[in-house]
Amino acid sequence: MAEPSPPPPAFFQERLDALVGSPMGSGTPNVAPDPVNQPMIRHWAAAFEDGNPAYVDAEFAESSRFGGIVAPPLMLQTWTMATPMITGIKERGGAPLPSNDRGPLSVFDEAGFVGTLASNSEFEIHRYLRLGETVSARTVIESISAEKTTRIGVGHFVTWVTTYAVDAGPDEAGEVVGIQRFRILKFKPGSAA
Amino acid sequence: MSNRRTLTLGDVSVGDQLPELVIDMTATVVVAGAIATRDFMPVHHDRNYANAQGSPEIFMNILSDTAYCSRFVTDWAGPEAMVKSLKIRLGGPAYANTVLTYSGSVTSVDAVDGGEANVEVTFLAVNELGQHVSGTMVINLPAG
Repeated sequence: MAEPSPPPPAFFQERLDALVGSPMGSGTPNVAPDPVNQPMIRHWAAAFEDGNPAYVDAEFAESSRFGGIVAPPLMLQTWTMATPMITGIKERGGAPLPSNDRGPLSVFDEAGFVGTLASNSEFEIHRYLRLGETVSARTVIESISAEKTTRIGVGHFVTWVTTYAVDAGPDEAGEVVGIQRFRILKFKPGSAA
Repeated sequence: MSNRRTLTLGDVSVGDQLPELVIDMTATVVVAGAIATRDFMPVHHDRNYANAQGSPEIFMNILSDTAYCSRFVTDWAGPEAMVKSLKIRLGGPAYANTVLTYSGSVTSVDAVDGGEANVEVTFLAVNELGQHVSGTMVINLPAG
């Protein structure tokens, strides 16, 4: 396959600017396959050896400021992770599900920015989740930087923002329970000075 | 089991050091964290795959990072400390068969309504390769 020739810089920047505000994924909210539940919380607490009784001890939790069991706050992202199709996951480069959608970031890959490095993750927790609540997540691209020279090469920082809500429906925004900002660098491998 | 008493405004001052959290990052720890956060990316459980991607070992996923950050702070502050925000900057990977050490200190204390307090902790986690994550977390402490 021939190397794609890089687009003129002004045109490329226009394509990047057009991505800001566009959804990651299908554009419909990503709804958690299961409501917040004790077995998944117990599994999480065991994996990280987090002994906080507010997550697993009903008697403690009821007498605490939470008034009942709460999910670990940083478990927020876990609830809406895709249920994977294990067969073929390696061949798909780790993508949990097969997809024909190349996604908004394919603009970078076409221009040679094929490397991806996670840079920052930020959470605002508005309130803790309780057993039985169903979380949904909506993710849009928030910003794309101008081209930067970094120690691993030239690239653009891309930030997307995920809004987590409960009781969201097709026409209901629901109650926002948390916000996550995630930043990656899309870079050209081998372009480091 | 963490200490069941939760710190309050009067217990905390700027400059207080948190007890270190040391994680012996075995392959089991990496895999347990990845699966508990429902992250099935092969780089977090399959060493052959990680090698083919240019990594010497499987490595911890980012959802595990944020999990350990919250445990580091609430182990110290107590079970009723409420996480308000977390900001982390990612450095080098946390490969299996390394040791990851979290350290941090209190960088601000603000009294809020009704005797509660918002406390900012600034922290760092390092391993044999150097800095793995750095960041800040704000927690809310209950009224005394």
